[in-house]
Amino acid sequence: MDCASLNPIPEAAAFRRPPSQVMRLDRMGSAHPTRLSFLRSLLRRVSDEGWTFDRPVWDIDGRGVGRAVYRAAGPVRTYCLVAFAHDLPAEMRSDRVIATAWDATFTLFDGEPDADDLDRLQANVPLQEAGRISARELSLSRANRSVRLFAHVIERLAAGMQPDPAEVEAVGYLMRTTAVYGSGKFGAADRANIADRPELSAPFQAEMLSVWLTRQFTVDIVEHLAATRGGASAVRLDPAIRRMLGVGNSTGLGMAPFLVRHPVLLNNWMMAREEALARVRAQHAARPDAVAAFQAALAEATENARQWHSTHPIQIAKLDALRRDLTCLADRIANWPEPQSNHPWDRLWRWGEAELSLEGQEALLALMLEPHGDLVDGLSDCMTADEKAWFRLDGTITVADFSASLAQHYDWALAIDFDQPDKAARFWYVSEEKLEPRLGNRFEEDGASLEQPLCIARLAHELHTALKDWPGDASLAAFLLAHPEHRFMARRAQILGHHPYAEVRDNLIAAEILPIDLMRCKLAFFGASRFDPRSDKWVRISLFQGMPYPSDMTPGGWA
Amino acid sequence: MSAAQDHEAEPNDPTRSGSPVPGGKDACLSQNEIEQLCLKAARGAGMSWGLAEEAGFAAAWLAARGLDGPGILLAQLTLADGRPWDEICPLVAPGRFAAEDSGCLCPIALGSTLCDHAALPQASMENAPLRLGPVSCPLLLLPFLSAVATARRQSLCLRWPRGMVVLTADGQIAGDATRLGAETSLTAELERHKPATERVPVTGDLPFLPSETLRGLNDLALRTTVPASEASRAGAGAVTGDND
Repeated sequence: MDCASLNPIPEAAAFRRPPSQVMRLDRMGSAHPTRLSFLRSLLRRVSDEGWTFDRPVWDIDGRGVGRAVYRAAGPVRTYCLVAFAHDLPAEMRSDRVIATAWDATFTLFDGEPDADDLDRLQANVPLQEAGRISARELSLSRANRSVRLFAHVIERLAAGMQPDPAEVEAVGYLMRTTAVYGSGKFGAADRANIADRPELSAPFQAEMLSVWLTRQFTVDIVEHLAATRGGASAVRLDPAIRRMLGVGNSTGLGMAPFLVRHPVLLNNWMMAREEALARVRAQHAARPDAVAAFQAALAEATENARQWHSTHPIQIAKLDALRRDLTCLADRIANWPEPQSNHPWDRLWRWGEAELSLEGQEALLALMLEPHGDLVDGLSDCMTADEKAWFRLDGTITVADFSASLAQHYDWALAIDFDQPDKAARFWYVSEEKLEPRLGNRFEEDGASLEQPLCIARLAHELHTALKDWPGDASLAAFLLAHPEHRFMARRAQILGHHPYAEVRDNLIAAEILPIDLMRCKLAFFGASRFDPRSDKWVRISLFQGMPYPSDMTPGGWA
Repeated sequence: MSAAQDHEAEPNDPTRSGSPVPGGKDACLSQNEIEQLCLKAARGAGMSWGLAEEAGFAAAWLAARGLDGPGILLAQLTLADGRPWDEICPLVAPGRFAAEDSGCLCPIALGSTLCDHAALPQASMENAPLRLGPVSCPLLLLPFLSAVATARRQSLCLRWPRGMVVLTADGQIAGDATRLGAETSLTAELERHKPATERVPVTGDLPFLPSETLRGLNDLALRTTVPASEASRAGAGAVTGDND
């Protein structure tokens, strides 16, 4: 299905931001979650379709060790999160991929597991990467406790008191996942086998469902441990405090290359978001109900910005700018829209581009989508990608035409002088140690000969130079036969010709590269909030904070 | 931990789902795992990144039809290890994709080149069959020939002295694929196919990979990795601890 031909608002195209503006690292590194984010589309679906949730197995002992099953029943299929709870010594607690044990481990099962399935999973899931799962499983993940908040909440609940809201606010989650694997990893079902199911066709839906059910597990286990410790005097979490808790996530450099390795997918995510913004800007007038919903969303965003903390200098500065921007925005819309103003959303957007920081502009984008679900939610269906359909090269194009297209789409790359050391200072590689992706210093460390092909700008540069030596009427097929080393980049360049938002338009090996910018963009598409860098390549975030729990969707379905 | 110890521990790649199996065991890999492992192994064996992508595609395509793509790719990579590109890439002339002198083509190089030329005159099958080869590990050609058939919306037939495989316009294969998998090298003809009788398509579950295939592919894949150093280890994680 061709989304473009189905577009109900073709006039919006004139309002779309160009890739040269959108696909820059600093702007991608200011991305905010929107209503098109993947966890939001999951929550819309389970609500619209009336999914039901319960917990058929809860076999956890007084030390918090054992297993549990959470069941999510949709209109056609049922999925179950199988959770294993462990007693982890503090010295083994690490969020790095090199860890070997965790506080809890999980898998999302396709259907309902029987006792044999659970035993098979118990022998493998706690081992994570060192175990094997099967095509009956859709994800593999693990989580570590926030040691301080986890202990505080149990202590308070056991004593019959609620946790200190300031403590809850400061951390925001009881446990944080440190990896959520899907798409055929470690033996799990291939994406191709499940992509035709409506509930899993949008990106990362199995992973999002797994994390949402994990959030339920994190509050269930603290209430269980508090009840064990406090007996009759223990109380359950106050619903308002409970809602403040999300699931944390701790992520390293391994996530950063994803967007570079999936150009068609990146394009489709960006295109959907940009089309959504363009549709809102294309509105001739602002409906009163939309204005009210926008004001409510702004109030919520302002409160979120107040609670959003980071100790990283870059993020501290960005948060200061965001808070200032949201105040400016509140002033700007005090008497907005002006009577008879044409295209008020577009005027507001243009004001934002002139007055706000990148953080503020991208926050404004999210806010403008918020009241317009009827206009934009359908774009969720356009965010998946058939990457295989774009794998084959068109060998018939002439060297002259291909070179001209390259010069047009990669002008930003061809302008970089890679002879300057700071333009090629870094290199991406995979460490032999646990095959962890890392970023090295080219002129200080060994290993640059084993560089991963993430240095796209330089590859484009090299391809363009090599093409100059060829007659213009030669075919690309003939060129690639002589130059197999350019095949990788030639494929990308042909993809970009059909997918304008497929490429990050910055030098990914420059001295000043910030991998967290790539991570923030991807995490915003997941729906992550409270982006909190712990270095230039390591972040913590929160998922589902302030949103309902599975148990809220099925009152009475819980033990 | 030394590199050797680390290797024995069978490391894992969280982003590309490689090297996924505990040591010494046969395993059933997902199609995604096969593709990524074979891509890395091909790169480790010296292919360019773009051709290594083709190798991963080909091995996974075959595995999805129950054929031993990973095992035969390993055989090919071992065979071609250290041989220069101009010895294993085809010479392209109208009607003919041949090896130089007495050489033998790499099926990944030949297949990719055929796909690139699919709509060019050199690959025309209007008047006569295309002559291909000699090519080693010829089973690995099928994914590429299927892509050509799909792109041209035309069923094709690969014939060699001991068998034939039909590649349909809708991406299916039928015929002597298993026999083709047993051939170590051959010269073949590719021609347009007029479906006379319905053939049973070749299908199958993802094959079980024996431990020696996994080990061989993992060893090649590890050639793409950089030995750990204190500097690299130090920069990879959070600045603070995780017990907060």
